[in-house]
Amino acid sequence: MTLPVASNDPSCHCPLLDTKQGSESTVVAIACGESEACRLRALGLYEGATVSVIGKRHCLLVDVSGTRLALGSDLATGITVQPRAASAP
Amino acid sequence: MNAPAAPARLGHDRPLRVAIIGNPNTGKTTLFNALTGLRQRVGNFAGVTVERVEGAFTLGDGRRVTILDLPGSYSLTAGSPDEQIALEVLLKRDASHWDPDVVLVVVDAVHLDRNLFLASQVCELGLPVVIALNQIDVAESQGIAIDIPELIHELGVPVIPTVASRGEGLDPLRNACFTAAALPAPTPRFAIDASAETSLARHKWIGEVIARTVTRRARSLDTPSDTIDAIALHRVGGPLLFLVIMALVFQAVFSWAAPLQDAIESLVLTVGSRVGDVLPEGDLRSLVVDGVFAGVGSVLVFLPQIAILFGFIGILEQSGYMARAAFLMDGLMRRVGLHGKSFIPMLSGYACAVPGIMATRTIEDPKDRLATIMVVPLMSCSARLPVYTLLIGTFIPALPLIPGLDLQGATMLLMYLLGTVTALAIAALFRKTLLRGPVRPMILELPPYRWPAPKSLMVSVWQRCQVFLRRAGTVILSLSIVLWALATYPRAPEDATRTAEQQQEAQLAHSVLGRFGKAIEPAVAPLGYDWKIGVSIVASFAAREVFVSTMGTIYGVGGEDDAALADRLRAETDASGAPVYTPLIAVGLMVFYVYALMCMSTIAVTVREAGGGRIGWRWATIQFVYMLVLAYGAAWLVLVIGRALGFS
Ligand SMILES: Nc1nc2c(ncn2[C@@H]2O[C@H](COP(=O)(O)OP(=O)(O)OP(=O)(O)O)[C@@H](O)[C@H]2O)c(=O)[nH]1
Ligand SMILES: [Mg+2]
Repeated sequence: MTLPVASNDPSCHCPLLDTKQGSESTVVAIACGESEACRLRALGLYEGATVSVIGKRHCLLVDVSGTRLALGSDLATGITVQPRAASAP
Repeated sequence: MNAPAAPARLGHDRPLRVAIIGNPNTGKTTLFNALTGLRQRVGNFAGVTVERVEGAFTLGDGRRVTILDLPGSYSLTAGSPDEQIALEVLLKRDASHWDPDVVLVVVDAVHLDRNLFLASQVCELGLPVVIALNQIDVAESQGIAIDIPELIHELGVPVIPTVASRGEGLDPLRNACFTAAALPAPTPRFAIDASAETSLARHKWIGEVIARTVTRRARSLDTPSDTIDAIALHRVGGPLLFLVIMALVFQAVFSWAAPLQDAIESLVLTVGSRVGDVLPEGDLRSLVVDGVFAGVGSVLVFLPQIAILFGFIGILEQSGYMARAAFLMDGLMRRVGLHGKSFIPMLSGYACAVPGIMATRTIEDPKDRLATIMVVPLMSCSARLPVYTLLIGTFIPALPLIPGLDLQGATMLLMYLLGTVTALAIAALFRKTLLRGPVRPMILELPPYRWPAPKSLMVSVWQRCQVFLRRAGTVILSLSIVLWALATYPRAPEDATRTAEQQQEAQLAHSVLGRFGKAIEPAVAPLGYDWKIGVSIVASFAAREVFVSTMGTIYGVGGEDDAALADRLRAETDASGAPVYTPLIAVGLMVFYVYALMCMSTIAVTVREAGGGRIGWRWATIQFVYMLVLAYGAAWLVLVIGRALGFS
């Protein structure tokens, strides 16, 4: 499911898994099971939220407004983001 | 703040009912304990509380409140079994009809935006709400300032700042609960549903509230916790650190306890023989000395070890390392078909399988959860500790291996590892056969590290010691007496030609216990055990520690002097004069205890948590049988392979 968030250039969108460590990005879409999506949104990872990748191991270590979350790489593939740096001209 | 006519409305006979809810790890149980004076378990990870717990307090003017601590929840729509428990109480669908008058939402001031998601949902239930803005101390230290009057205005419900861990803000909170009961419920803003649209609208509203109420220093992405995590979660360093911590724990359990253990041992022996001296020679003296002192005393000796083990587990739980362990193990767990979160119940299983199985309630997927329940009892619990310690201490030499670890500690670590590795393998087997299904993706919150509070650490250790002492005073004491009687009657005829020792042996063989032991000896003979070990194993199906107390009683009845159990075991020989207990037999016995499920409470909890009724019993039976087969098979293999390698 994709919900419209701000006016973004879709060409810059990429899965959260592919963003660089230490980079900040904005969540554009969350594609995964309904119950996982629901849980992610309750944890503050919703369409429009800012996430930064802190570490990459077998799963992703992210910061969502001060909360440290470990996300499975399968989930991180399904989360589409717009990297912050990429949106600058 | 004075409460108006709230009690009048509720009637004097019925106390006010307050349900505590909030995100996991916000301090709900800490607050509950502070309000009620109870001592429920607190820990720094999500999912410590998995049950509803009721408590009560009385205000100075006699008004009474019953208060319910509930498992943490991220939203009212998510669905693991523990979150369901909280949801049912709030939606008044609770089986025991405990309908709350007021909902107390505990909110973590540091992560106000995330916490307001659940809080705003609770505000839509049509119940009076009070918000405890907890962990204000942490928020202040991070430069987060919250405009509380403005927040009250925005949310339309009372907001009380609290520091639950220091007991600050409790009085205003108590009063606010009464005041709120008389106020109308807040007006709903959104519908409670799981749809993305509603969630986004809610987040947008929360964003606006936060913008108007919270000012903060620029957040740095590099907190002290991140610095620790750079090592603790390192690809190579992380697992290594985990192993080092585990090795340290087991070595400490083994060696730090030794002096205290010796002290208790000699105390028990001295008191036992003093008491024996004043009692007249005869059955009563034998009952007290051989039954009670030798039986219960041999188990009491392990109190220091239990305390040290629980001290370490407490530190792991309260520091925030549990979630890191789950994170580290996720890769491995996934390979065997389990969720990383399953490792938290498994780690709790090192303490006791019962809370471990309860902790699986945080796992959403039913098959995942069931597979975890099936293997948690393979994690060596504290009741196995006396058995391991007795056998290791008696038969394994303390050869130094590397600094900080000797052969005894390493053997202990090996037993724990054996249980853990087997648990993973068996879980994989279940996930490939009876419980096939996909693994849910990992979503895990990593809490900031915290210093464990010495006081709450002491309290939790003391609580566990009390449980242990209570067991020693009830189950183990009564079994010791029963076993003493079985080992003493019927009396063998006196024969003047026999030495005292031979007479004692004849007595044991003549007793009910001896005859029963001889009858079951063929079953344990393939494992290299004599009838005395066989009897002790059978008795320990009531509780594992009973193995040690039974040995104590058998050798108490059979022996003359006041030697400690370990010395008697080493000296024991069979008819041909060969020692009965060799290191190989001891290792085989330990392996048997790693695998065998000998715990009534575990069986009862498995029945309940696996679905109750017929389904529950089916799973409990599967669990009991596979573990017994595994225990017997593995102990036999140890003996066969050991002998083939030339050990005796
Ligand atoms: N600094 C500080 N720490 C707190 C405060 N309240 C609780 N804590 C700590 O926060 C952690 C979590 O506390 P718990 O009471 O177990 O949290 P909970 O909300 O019951 O957690 P779950 O049962 O898992 O949902 C513990 O380490 C507490 O010591 C507080 O006001 N200040
Ligand atoms: Mg709790």
